[in-house]
Amino acid sequence: MSTPAHALASAVRKQEQGLLNCVHCGFCLPACPTYRRLGDEADSPRGRLYLMQAVVEGRLDPGAEAFQTHIGRCLGCRACEPVCPSGVEYGHLLELARQVGGNARRPPFLARMLLRVFGTAWLARPAMFAGRAMRATGLPTLLTRILAGRRPPKGARLAVAMLAASAPPPPLPGRTEGRPATVPQRETGDKPTVGVLAGCVQAGLFGRVNQATVRVLQANGYRVVSVPNQGCCGALHAHGGDLETARSLARRNLEAFEAAGVDFVAMNASGCGAAMADYGSLLADDEELAPRARALAGKIRDISQLLAERGPVPGGTVPLKVTYDAPCHLLHAQGVAEPPARVLDSIPGLEVVPLPGAAECCGGAGIYGLTNPRLGGWIGSDKVQSVLGTGAAALITGNPGCMMQIGAGLALTGAGIPVLHLVELLDESYRRGGLYGEVDR
Amino acid sequence: MVPVTLAKSLVEICGRDGVILDEERLLVYESDALTAYRHRPGAVVLPRSTDQVQGAVRAIAEHGLPIVPRGAGTGLSGGAVALDGAVVIGTARMNRILDIDAPNRRAVLQPGVINAELSVAAGAHGLYYAPDPSSQTACTIGGNVAENSGGPHCLKYGVTSRYVTGLAVVLADGSMVRLGGQGRESPGYDLVGLFVGSEGCFGIATEIEVGLLPVPEGVCTLLGIFDRIDDAGQAVSDIVGAGLLPAALEIIDGPTIRAVEDSVFAAGYPIDAEAALVIEFDGMEAGLEHDAERAAALCALAGAREVRTARDEDERMALWKGRKKAFGAMGRIAPDLLVQDATVPRTTLPSILRGISDIGQRYDLVVANVFHAGDGNLHPNILFDRRDEHELERVERASKEIMQLCVDSGGTITGEHGVGLDKKHHMDLIYGPDELDAMWQVRRVFDPGGVMNPGKVLPEDTGPAEGAGLPEGIGGD
Repeated sequence: MSTPAHALASAVRKQEQGLLNCVHCGFCLPACPTYRRLGDEADSPRGRLYLMQAVVEGRLDPGAEAFQTHIGRCLGCRACEPVCPSGVEYGHLLELARQVGGNARRPPFLARMLLRVFGTAWLARPAMFAGRAMRATGLPTLLTRILAGRRPPKGARLAVAMLAASAPPPPLPGRTEGRPATVPQRETGDKPTVGVLAGCVQAGLFGRVNQATVRVLQANGYRVVSVPNQGCCGALHAHGGDLETARSLARRNLEAFEAAGVDFVAMNASGCGAAMADYGSLLADDEELAPRARALAGKIRDISQLLAERGPVPGGTVPLKVTYDAPCHLLHAQGVAEPPARVLDSIPGLEVVPLPGAAECCGGAGIYGLTNPRLGGWIGSDKVQSVLGTGAAALITGNPGCMMQIGAGLALTGAGIPVLHLVELLDESYRRGGLYGEVDR
Repeated sequence: MVPVTLAKSLVEICGRDGVILDEERLLVYESDALTAYRHRPGAVVLPRSTDQVQGAVRAIAEHGLPIVPRGAGTGLSGGAVALDGAVVIGTARMNRILDIDAPNRRAVLQPGVINAELSVAAGAHGLYYAPDPSSQTACTIGGNVAENSGGPHCLKYGVTSRYVTGLAVVLADGSMVRLGGQGRESPGYDLVGLFVGSEGCFGIATEIEVGLLPVPEGVCTLLGIFDRIDDAGQAVSDIVGAGLLPAALEIIDGPTIRAVEDSVFAAGYPIDAEAALVIEFDGMEAGLEHDAERAAALCALAGAREVRTARDEDERMALWKGRKKAFGAMGRIAPDLLVQDATVPRTTLPSILRGISDIGQRYDLVVANVFHAGDGNLHPNILFDRRDEHELERVERASKEIMQLCVDSGGTITGEHGVGLDKKHHMDLIYGPDELDAMWQVRRVFDPGGVMNPGKVLPEDTGPAEGAGLPEGIGGD
């Protein structure tokens, strides 16, 4: 077991090489949502790296207010990485900095509790059940409607609205009533085998997205196998600097997906996708597991990538004007830009309008709304205004956190614009196109 | 640490969140993009309006503290570094485009507007802002005004001073003056011209009026690949000598090519080449191709291994991205770099490049060159690791020798990055005591008390004797 002091020393050593790449050119400043709004260089990637460097050099205590505040205020959106000419791996450094910061000063109770719940199956299941039960009462939706149009969302009001926003979207125009029939799996040898990460929030509140993921994969010629014993990916823990828990969660998933013997792991939550694609780095110090972790990381695909690779096959008409918001951990962390656009382009009747600022974070950023409610709300309301400005009838994205953050923001404006996951929309198109066989009425 | 009374007044003026006093938070303002110089400011103020700038300047001046204006901190001469506990006035929050007057091709901006974002906004009207420093995606117009910034396309279009037509300036006593404005020419002395390039020593520009240009009808970009950097230098000399007027002529040398190709901005430059020459022509479609063909022929004649033409806008952008992000990509070779900014007569390029390479070898240092060849504006980047003290000393000596070499061949010590802190002690390579004295007198007209960005540009030991009857300030409310 490593002591905080030991963790600090090793984290510092690891940081050294990465930090030195930063030549202080400042190209990252305009890419940073917090710098753009606050104008303080300490709230920019370059400034945060400088603070980390100061800790490494022993000039700054990681428990100091400056370090805690500015490292804590980072969204972790990693928009700074694609614009960095020196290739500083900011995301990794941030996780280490959070670990060092968390060792110096305990993170807030609420944040620790949430991470505990997500990372522990016997806590997560009842919590998610309670969430669903609460959502099913319709109370959150009602409350959100009442609260609409008042002050910017934060705290409890935001939480209620986010829960409401996780509910299934209302019927889309042109929709015929009915549920998709289950598709019998056609077992053929040459189909690539795919396992789907069920996730914690995704499984708990967005079960319909997981089900749609399976159906659209099958429709595109993938063989989907079940992967028992999988669990939370550990993304939120890593982002929060709890790397030990993140590693133990990674080990569990590594074993589960290895045992399933899949060609690819399909991700429908881009935050989880970025985390699992990074398992190689996370477990790099474990000699036995590192090569296996790298191999698994190489199999991680966002659902949009797997679909785009197969076309995807076209479905039925969805006459809807939509706009797409790129999740940060898909666009910046994984560099996946084209595949979601290809999936949208494949849907007949769909009109896709560009979203100004689509590459900027929505302010959801894991549990940011809890740790930095004011700033998260500010960034979120900018996103909502941008969506409203497009005149789109629905917003499409690819990550549960973004769906809830933007969904809550939109609901609180009373605009009635639903947020859908990319696969939900494709699934609807397939259902209409009869790709799932007869519709049972 | 600033006195409590000053801290209180600054908070009153700019709000609690507009003033940074905490020693540890101030760490990040220690240096600009030239990390060789680190000095922690006494405080940082982030005003939102001209009024707040005026109030802050008055309060700071009353306490007898020096003031350092700062944009995005992307400068390369240490100009935005706060010496002697100076208070930094940052313009990051003054980032609004106040007006785009398309019919008159004019824009009025706050100083914190990012260079590239002005062109994006003006693009909606078919216009753009011509000066394009390599840091244009991050640097601010206010900083550009202070440094009289250039950029690759300044070969044809000229530098910042050609585009700034009016300024609102807060002087050292907190008064605000308007210089020029409403177009290109104002009667009397050209005070706007005097202010542009004053490196924060004359005051803080809080409103800037600039001229915009129509987006050129056509653009044609070529890439010449050379096995010898001298040949690339020769090609530049030949192209300009033949009477062609490219919009840009940029050389990227072997070490830089390899750093860029290793980065996310890989532009497809061949990594075994010793120089890549980017040539761009723009303007009316008619004649572009003819110019490009002549330039390509001249490259071949000078010994180019290959000349490519960017086939589409994507290729063109990739090609430029490699050039513009070269500075940052150096981080892949070494943790620190000292970028020089000497300008030499174009015809001496081949021999100077050889000389720089010799100096690098003699001091056992990697020197990577990426520069505005058409203007003879060199950017030798000396790569090093500041944790190695012996190396640091060699860097300083090599740097001085490179500068001396450029000056000896009829060049000067800075082309566009400014003098700042870094080259102040080299000013006497270019100017005699009388000329420096004249500059001191001009500076004192704007800033009689020596409050604005002291310790920059002019070496202190060249100043006029104390009490030598300074002229009155030109300020007035």
